[in-house]
Amino acid sequence: MSNSVISVISRFLEEYKTKTSNKLKVVDAYLFYILLTGALQFLYCLLVGTFPFNSFLAGFISCVGAFILGVCLRIQVNPENKGDFLSISQERAFADFLLAHTVLHLVVINFIG
Amino acid sequence: MARAGLFSLVLLTVALGAQALTPSHHLSLSDVERLQGVLSQPFTDLASAYYSIVGLSKLGAAVADENDACQFLKAHLDPMSVDSLFFAAEASQALSDCEIPVSNETRDILLAAVSEDSTVTQIFRAVSALSSLGLPLASQEVVSALVARIAKEDNVLAITTALQTATRLSQQAELGGILEEIEDLAARLDDLGGVYLQFEEGLEATALFVTAAYALSDHVETEPPLKEDQVIQLVNSVFSKKSWDSLSEAFSVACAAAALSENRFHVPVVVSTQGPATVSHSQPVLQLLVTNVLSNPMASASVLLESAQSVASKSVVLSQTPFTLRDGVFQLNFMASQPASGYYQFSVAVSGDSRLVANQVELKVKVSTEVAITNMDLSVVDKDQSIGTKTSRVDYPFKAKGSFTADSHQNFVMTFQLVDVNTGVELTPHQTFVRLHNQKTGQEVVFVAEPDSKNLYKFELDTAERKSEFDSMSGTYALHLIVGDATLENPILWNVADVVLKFLDEEAPTTIQAKTLYMPKPEIQHLFREPEKKPPTVVSNTFTALVLSPLLLLLILWVKLGANISNFSLTPSSVLFHVGHACMLGLMYVYWSHLNMFQTLQYLAIIGSLTFLAGNRMLAQKAVKRIASK
Repeated sequence: MSNSVISVISRFLEEYKTKTSNKLKVVDAYLFYILLTGALQFLYCLLVGTFPFNSFLAGFISCVGAFILGVCLRIQVNPENKGDFLSISQERAFADFLLAHTVLHLVVINFIG
Repeated sequence: MARAGLFSLVLLTVALGAQALTPSHHLSLSDVERLQGVLSQPFTDLASAYYSIVGLSKLGAAVADENDACQFLKAHLDPMSVDSLFFAAEASQALSDCEIPVSNETRDILLAAVSEDSTVTQIFRAVSALSSLGLPLASQEVVSALVARIAKEDNVLAITTALQTATRLSQQAELGGILEEIEDLAARLDDLGGVYLQFEEGLEATALFVTAAYALSDHVETEPPLKEDQVIQLVNSVFSKKSWDSLSEAFSVACAAAALSENRFHVPVVVSTQGPATVSHSQPVLQLLVTNVLSNPMASASVLLESAQSVASKSVVLSQTPFTLRDGVFQLNFMASQPASGYYQFSVAVSGDSRLVANQVELKVKVSTEVAITNMDLSVVDKDQSIGTKTSRVDYPFKAKGSFTADSHQNFVMTFQLVDVNTGVELTPHQTFVRLHNQKTGQEVVFVAEPDSKNLYKFELDTAERKSEFDSMSGTYALHLIVGDATLENPILWNVADVVLKFLDEEAPTTIQAKTLYMPKPEIQHLFREPEKKPPTVVSNTFTALVLSPLLLLLILWVKLGANISNFSLTPSSVLFHVGHACMLGLMYVYWSHLNMFQTLQYLAIIGSLTFLAGNRMLAQKAVKRIASK
């Protein structure tokens, strides 16, 4: 049982290393960083307490929002998905990513107190 | 005339469904004395001499020393001044045997003042001086001058003065136009609450108007166009003020009082009781004073009691009975008709003179009596009625011989009757209280004794039910009966007996808290909201470092992946884009530290649009490059 799980994981990692382009790996690294940051913030909240709650929420939502926007960028930029996003070029996807981030940061800074 | 007046009064009463208006203010004897005192002050100048002398004569009094007054007038007279001549001439007329010397010049000056170019006051003073000094004057000229002046000076005082001037003119002159001014002026009066009618110019103007209106109406023998209610409202306005600011105001009130007590058309009558409006067996006679506004009794009047109606039962006890006049006071023996105690509404009519105004008066008269307590029975009754009751009778004002004991199985019962001493009728006064007073602790509990349908009073004390009112304090209570009412002349406070009450579950006697109820309470210290507990700085710093550490990891990963900026083209748009983007991130920090949302949005709009344009350009170039290289 565990054997198959390990073999699935190792196969997945192999495929990932070879099949994914560098550009996507860059984005994946960024997403991983965001994930870690969010997880660490959540850990702090669990351990030490929710004071000040608004700051915790701002930070956590920032991570969550950034992660989602990163995922969106990755989907739109992936050449394998080109058929779904005919009208959206890579540059356009990146511009959307930047605009959405501006709005996200504005809201987060407002809420951070 | 009087019939028309009476008919309108009846109509008014029926229409309003209310009682006719009666004067609420008049000059009592002390007010008249005070007015005379004000008018008797020593003269300072000719005007004050005029006000004092003429005012006192209107009140029927005289100056202290007539000779001195006459000398004063002659000494201060200025024969060249119309005003001076007016004051001196009028005052000398009021004094007996005082003659002001007259010369041709005087006459010429006065006649010259009568013209359209002088003010109404000047015309009035000239005309009055001429007529008081016995000099001839042309009435028609005066009338035309007055009419011309009234058109120019359209204020209340001027028209009132014109009315006064007209009273000095011959009756053959055309005074109709001036007479009509009375009605116009009356329309200008302000009605205050239906009780007062006065000019906004004040008391003096109103009083002078009343004087002038009645003087002119008497002179031309025409009834003034004032309704009876208006007359009473004017009376209320003029006589409501009992201390006067100036000599001229006092003078105007004196003139108005004289006008209202002696004119040919309307004489307001004031009906009041002498002493309180109460009759009883000891004082069976109701005494009424019928006077005019100067508190002079009207001896020619006859007073009739139209009806006396009981307020409680609405039955008419007496009707159409005349009052008898004795020593200037109208009397009626009301107790002769044996009324029950209570309040009665008297409708009194004063007649005898067709000029009387407000001669229908409503009075509220109280008939009081004395109360006696009979058949006072005290008993202690067992709740289950198995043991016979022990009733003892107590007579007022004695106290019961023994004390009564009641515990939780028994009720204490008290029955009595209240009767009118004189008629024997049973009474139900407003206040019948039973008060129990604990001598040791000072506790006091009051109950109400209620009558049943046969007017027998019963008070029942159920010790078990009422123990909360007594705080379950057992002990000896003094029992008092309190009887009182507005119509009782002898209220009663009677210590009837001592009652020993025994309660179950007696708590330890607590000191009575009543005294501390109104003492200052303990001060409340305000606790400000405590700031929340913050974790120690070490922990926060550690976690800050921990949260920032993935950034390091990211950079390492990127380097490992080979991400680089080798494709960075140094075009102005890309430089501008990156600079603008960096500015936007910097703006976020500044927003957090200094700015508010509105300012941030303004800056963001500027920087954002620049960045957008530059970025658009840059990405377009990149796209072109990418497609070209494919």
